[in-house]
Amino acid sequence: MRTRIAKVLLAGAACAVFTACDEKLSTFAGPTPSLEPTFASIQREIFESSDSAGRTACTNCHSSTGRNPSGGLNLNHDVAYDQLVNAAVREKPGAVRVIPGDPDNSYLIQKLEGAAGIAGRRMPQNGPPYLTDNQVLIIRRWIALGAPRN
Amino acid sequence: MTRLLSFCFCLAIAWPSAANAQSDPDDAVLRLAEPDFTLIGLPTGLRLPQFGSAFRVTHRFTRRLNGDDFGDVAGDLFGIDSGAQIGLEYRYGLVRNGQIGIHRTSNKTIEFFGQYGVLRQGDHRPLDVSALLAIEGTNNFRDSYSPSIGAIVSHTFGNVAAVYVEPIWINNTNPLPRQLVDNNNTFMVGIGARVRIRPTVYLVGEGAPRSGYKPGTTHASFGIEKRAGGHMFQLNFSDGFGTTPAQIARGGPIEKDWFLGFNISRKFF
Repeated sequence: MRTRIAKVLLAGAACAVFTACDEKLSTFAGPTPSLEPTFASIQREIFESSDSAGRTACTNCHSSTGRNPSGGLNLNHDVAYDQLVNAAVREKPGAVRVIPGDPDNSYLIQKLEGAAGIAGRRMPQNGPPYLTDNQVLIIRRWIALGAPRN
Repeated sequence: MTRLLSFCFCLAIAWPSAANAQSDPDDAVLRLAEPDFTLIGLPTGLRLPQFGSAFRVTHRFTRRLNGDDFGDVAGDLFGIDSGAQIGLEYRYGLVRNGQIGIHRTSNKTIEFFGQYGVLRQGDHRPLDVSALLAIEGTNNFRDSYSPSIGAIVSHTFGNVAAVYVEPIWINNTNPLPRQLVDNNNTFMVGIGARVRIRPTVYLVGEGAPRSGYKPGTTHASFGIEKRAGGHMFQLNFSDGFGTTPAQIARGGPIEKDWFLGFNISRKFF
């Protein structure tokens, strides 16, 4: 009888094991719980939206709507991808805004992280608050996956 | 891989009659070649008598032994002056051939585990096989759960030595959400041996080559131990601090440093 109970317990435990555990991306993403490593999500949650931490939307400045986009970078919905991926940086010759598969050398990441050697200020310009480490990590993942237009 | 492991485990669960069919030796009797429930960090197939229990304390000092002047290392008493990752473990023989336990390490990881002896080495059976099931969580079992499933396959050579091969699959070893990582699981094959070099003195060693998520240095450890009645005193050297499946799967510090440690275990039966 006890052996049978043990079998049932072990079988139940085995079922529990195969219920995959994972950290929730929504928790990880902090003030932008819907942020995912896709371009559409980054465009919606980061470029076009402020967040609960008080970070301002990138399109406040990087927009052609009623103004000239700061730094020559227009993050309006219909042109943002082409403005970023494999696009040269105006104020830093040789730099590329997003290099698919290479987040470390993508100028977008360097500007968001405030890396040494960037031209101008860390983004967002009126930060802090800046993007959280986890938000940047999600953008890094999109670039590492090849920066697809998804 | 998941299906294969699932099949193997179901087979193991369905097969305990094989263990019962043989003449079961008294699990309370000392097995000279397999005197303890663990090697260093990896488990052995040693059965715990029903209603018996055992306690273990592990220490992994965090001061590296290599890379500094010998005088500096000796001045820190080879790491004993430094902090340590400490583990406390208690296991209980729930049923014949089956044991459950809890292991907590001082980085606030808690592991619950179960182990069931499926096949017992005997005259016509060269291998001893146990099924292993565990789940651990960080932050006192509130975050980052990593379940694991595996088998402990061993062969004992008389009263002299025992060798172990332990395929173990660990889910969610990567602390990041799966959307942000290439690998979220680790499959490792624990390999280990214990050799009795004196009537109560043993040499022990183990390693755990891995595939999947494997950020740190692959686990390796060796030690010397002394049995004294129901106690086992072990002095060991490891390239990491891991004592749970997920900790071992993640590996040690990337620099391949070596650290002093010890295990002390006590049987209550």
